[in-house]
Amino acid sequence: MQEATFLILTALADGSQHGYGIITEVQQISGGRVKLRAGTLYTALDRLRADGLIGVDREEIVEGRLRRYYRLTPAGTKVLADEAARLHANATAALRRLNPGLAGGVA
Amino acid sequence: MSEQVISGDQARLERAYRRILTWYPRSFRRDNEDEILAVLLDTAAEGQVRVGLAEAWDLVRGGLRMRLWPAVPRPRTVRAAVKLMLAGAAAELATVITVLVTSGAVRAAVAARHPSVVHAVMAHEVIDLVAAPVAIGVWLWLAWANGKGEDWGRVLGAACFGLLSLTMLGDLTQHAATYAPASMIAAAIEWAIGLASVLLIFTPAAGRYYRPQLVQQ
Repeated sequence: MQEATFLILTALADGSQHGYGIITEVQQISGGRVKLRAGTLYTALDRLRADGLIGVDREEIVEGRLRRYYRLTPAGTKVLADEAARLHANATAALRRLNPGLAGGVA
Repeated sequence: MSEQVISGDQARLERAYRRILTWYPRSFRRDNEDEILAVLLDTAAEGQVRVGLAEAWDLVRGGLRMRLWPAVPRPRTVRAAVKLMLAGAAAELATVITVLVTSGAVRAAVAARHPSVVHAVMAHEVIDLVAAPVAIGVWLWLAWANGKGEDWGRVLGAACFGLLSLTMLGDLTQHAATYAPASMIAAAIEWAIGLASVLLIFTPAAGRYYRPQLVQQ
């Protein structure tokens, strides 16, 4: 899974968000490192919708403009959980090998 | 006053964004243009009137990606049909090479038995050679349209297969199998590829890909 996709799913993990909300959430989650552009975001959202990982939660008109809120589907939640577990396991293994004493002590 | 200036700038920026969004497929724009535009205007800097280069490239790239690789997953039957259509283009190329290579032998065979029709056979060959690039183009076009799930691509595919079948029958009645066996075999392979691809795009699974809105209702 690409990092942008992972971060978009993560941004939706604790509730629905609209496009601009996802951009700011992703920036926050990544510590300001990933700043999604609209083209990248909507290409990813289009694919995630087609794959059934996200769905449209509701639509609002704010200041005359359409705002569409997206949420994770059960399939999306599972995919994100699996990917997070995989990354977590990899990261833990890397840290354990880098700092045998430290990680061993914590575990 | 300042309010008016801002709205004027924004209208200009909005027009610029809308122009770039024409890179996206029409179906996507119909559903998402206003939404993506709102996000673009929300993320635009204050007083911005032009689309930045990096931003423009990001949008164009997204549009191209959606046009070339649509997000709707293609069923296996359609993917197989697209591959077969590309193989059809290759088969047509093989057919025309066969016609060229065996041309001398075919003429000799015809001349030995029916010298009066040698000219007709040569004319037929010329027609084959002229039609080949068109046929290759049509195969590629069909592969592209069916890959995208265009319903007319399916209909056109069936029509072309009908035409191909008629051509085959015509060649058979002119005893092409006797005089030009190699060309006939190459043409038969192409016909079989056509048959298989048409059968694949008319399976129920493929139907759901071509007409999703009808199935959902």
